[in-house]
Order: sequence, then structure tokens, then C-alpha cells
Amino acid sequence: MFGKLLKYDFRSMLKQFAFIWPAALALAVINRFTLSSLESASATGETVAAVAMMVFVSIMIAMFVITLIFVIQRFYKGLLGDEGYLMHTLPVRPWALIGSKLVCAVVLTVVSTLVAVAAILIIVSPVIDLGEFFHVIRWLWDAVCGGKNAANAFLACVELLLLILLGMAEGYLMLYLAMAIGHLFNKGRAAMSVAAYIGIHVVVSVLLSFTSNVFGDMLYNFFDNLFWGKHDYPWQAVHMSLWISILVVAVGSAVYFLLTEYILRNKLNLE
Amino acid sequence: MNELLVTCTGLTKRYGLKPALNGVNLELGRGRIVGLLGPNGSGKTTLIKILCGLLQPTDGAVAIDGQPVGPYTKSIVSYLPDRMYFADWMKATDLFDLFADFYGDFDRAKAMSMCASLGVTPSDRLKTMSKGTKEKVQLVLVMARKAQAYLLDEPIAGVDPAARDFILNTILTNYNEDGTVMISTHLISDIEKVLDEAIFLKDGQVVLHNTVDAIREQEGKSVDALFREVFRARNYEGGIF
Repeated sequence: MFGKLLKYDFRSMLKQFAFIWPAALALAVINRFTLSSLESASATGETVAAVAMMVFVSIMIAMFVITLIFVIQRFYKGLLGDEGYLMHTLPVRPWALIGSKLVCAVVLTVVSTLVAVAAILIIVSPVIDLGEFFHVIRWLWDAVCGGKNAANAFLACVELLLLILLGMAEGYLMLYLAMAIGHLFNKGRAAMSVAAYIGIHVVVSVLLSFTSNVFGDMLYNFFDNLFWGKHDYPWQAVHMSLWISILVVAVGSAVYFLLTEYILRNKLNLE
Repeated sequence: MNELLVTCTGLTKRYGLKPALNGVNLELGRGRIVGLLGPNGSGKTTLIKILCGLLQPTDGAVAIDGQPVGPYTKSIVSYLPDRMYFADWMKATDLFDLFADFYGDFDRAKAMSMCASLGVTPSDRLKTMSKGTKEKVQLVLVMARKAQAYLLDEPIAGVDPAARDFILNTILTNYNEDGTVMISTHLISDIEKVLDEAIFLKDGQVVLHNTVDAIREQEGKSVDALFREVFRARNYEGGIF
């Protein structure tokens, strides 16, 4: 059943973004040419290049704004609005409804980010030699993470990736929880959702400020040791601080998820 | 299979302090057409939503086929809500796909033939359909299932009298005969002839639940006439003038 839910959530996502993603890439290609002809350009050419650049920048911003709005709307309208009448009468459990929306939201954000990176690379390609660019990156990687560091560096990258994905999920789950709390009220649900979001933020930052000293010290020690040439310790510190961050984010995500699920299962109040 | 299809015990739902349902006890058998009758605000929609799992009762319990509301009961209940519940970008055929995926009792071929007889083109986008056509699509989705309980919330409220007969006819010719159909409405004269049982809901309480034949026999009047008597506006009673 979860797979079927995913199918429909992905379908509605593709309907929305089938236009936006190609548009961002197409505008990047246009900018690539207007920018590369800039050196020999007349005043009109410069204006065209400036307009194309503005359109590109706005579509990049729009893409991320639309991504965020889409994620919020799919939950708010899709589960707590009129469409909720359909979704909550399907023979599935609430965790599947939330999980499907979440997986879709994270995938959407990843793809939007990849599209943005690709668009930027397309734009800068006439100005920066991309072969050279990747060569420099490679050289940096080898210098810092090559040789006997390779295994640790690779592991750290995987950990970082995991942390980023979980961080996205946590951010969205916090939004979901805020909307679920807002929906408990009979009036002013949107306003209460915003209030709940601010409230959750306050609680979480208070909690984190108690623990952040630990991470601060750890980060300090890491750089301290890195530059003073103790080569065994730094990687342990990197892994440890990454895993602690992953743990913190995972616990946060789990708490938000379970609370949202509890509300949808026991307090659903569609009207 | 449980003998009783729907059981409500002491069912209470409050919005804030205002009770929408107040200690409803109800037992429904199988293979009936039941009218859930009451004026606006009497708790009809609230009761149906609780049976579907869209609202949680403040107090009391509900069982459908002996089970508390959950994925199993949702798989045997076919619900027609009082509003449009689908995303605009879909086509009717997308909804048929969705129903076929989630409900084992959805009959796609039947849905297509119902569309044909109702004059709906299922490959049209819902966005381009009129309100009446969308309502027909929703009715097709609900009635093309071989469900055990059909909970229809005001299926005839928003349409003209000619369309009412058409919709009632669609319901009567398509429902699963082992299943029970519950129709909520305040338009009693239109549906009285098809009802087996009537439930009168007043201020969140069941004031009468009986077969239509028994009502006619005992009261010597039609359900419609009895309804008007029970729900007559208060200010005509015991006047102070």
C-alpha cells in the first residue's frame, strides 16, 4: 500500500515540476550564450544578457520557493484539506500517508538541487573551464582526502550525505507537525500552524543550545588537531561529530513523525 | 462476518463545548437501505464522518463488521462526502486507477459503463468538468465498489428534482445487495419510497429508528409526515400568546 501511495504522490509531483525543471535548464542554456557573447556585445546585447540573467535568477529562486510551497500544500491540502477526505478513507494507516508525502518531498528537494547545480554549471561553462574546475576539485580531494585518508574521507562523505538528507526530512517533518497541531483548532488553523511552527522552533533551539557546547568543543578540537599534525585523532572526531549530528537529527525527525502520526490517528478533525 | 454491520454505543462528539452527537446508540443490519434523516445541524454528517474515520469521537465507540474504524473498515466502506475530494489535475480515469489500486472491490468496467450511462467522459480533466459532472464522477467512484456499507452524505441535496431521481436510480441499480446503504438527507419525500429503515436524528440524538413499514403501520402516516411533525419548529409549540 505504501508503494501505491508513493506512486500517486510522485505523479502529482511530476505534474507540477515537469515544466519547472526543464525551464530552469533551458534558461541556463540561454544565459550561457548571452553571457559568452557579452565581450563582443553591443548595448542591446548587454541588456539581453542582463534580462536573461534576471529571468534565470528569478526562476532559480522560484523553483525553491515552489518546492517549499508544494511540500507544504501536499500535506496541508492533501491530508488536512478536502483531498484528505479521499486520502483518509483509503484503507491505509496514517504513518503511510505521512511517510509517502515525506519521501516525495525529500526526493523533490534533491532533484531541484541537482537541477540548480546543473544549471549553474551550464551558465559558468563558457567562463570557467569545467575540465579545469573538476581537475582542481580532484586535486583538492587528493591532497586532503587521498592516500591513507581515502577510506575515512569516503565514509565522512557518506555520513555527511546522510546528515543532509535527514536534515531535509527533519525540516519537513517539523512543518508537518506544525500543520497537524494547527489543525487541532476549530478556528484559524493556518495561523495556529504558523504559531505552532514558531513554538516548535523555540523549544528546539532552547534544547539545542544546551547541547551545542559539546559540538562546539568537538569541532574546535578537530581543527586544533588537524593543524597540529595528529593524524589519527581528527578522523575519529569527524566521524563522531557527524554521527552525533545524525543522531540528533534522527531523534528530532522521529519525534516529529510520531507526534504527527499520533495526531492524524487519534485526533483527526476534518470538517 | 459479523451479523451487525454498524454498531454505535454512547457515541458523542463535541466541537468545543457544543455537542454535535450526544450519546448515539445505533445498530444497523445488512442488506438495507437506511435513511439518516434530520434537519441541518442535527449531526448527520458528523455521524457519517466518524464511521469513515474522518473524525474521532469525543466519547463512545463505533464498530463496523465488528471492528473498530481502521484500514479494514475503510476497505469495506464506500463513502460519498458532501464535497469534492479530488485534485484538479486528475482525470476521472486517474481516479479509477487509484480506486482500483486501493480497493479490491472496485469494478473498473462497471465504473466505465456507469460513466457512459451518466453521460460523463472519463478521459476529461476534472478541472474542465462542471460541478454536476464532478458529482457524478464521485457517485460513480462510490457506487462502482462492491462495498458492505455505502455511506452517502447528502447525495441529492444540490441537484434539481429530475436529477434526484436519476441519482437515486443510479444508487439503487448499482449497490451491492448484501451491503447496506445509508443515505443522509433532509429531503425525505424524494427518498421515502426507496427506504427500508429510517433514523431520525435530532440535536445529536436518535429520536426514532424503525422500519418504514412499521412507521406507516404504527403512526398511520408517511415518514415525511412524521418527520414534519417531529421536527416542527419549536416556536409553534406552547405559544405564550
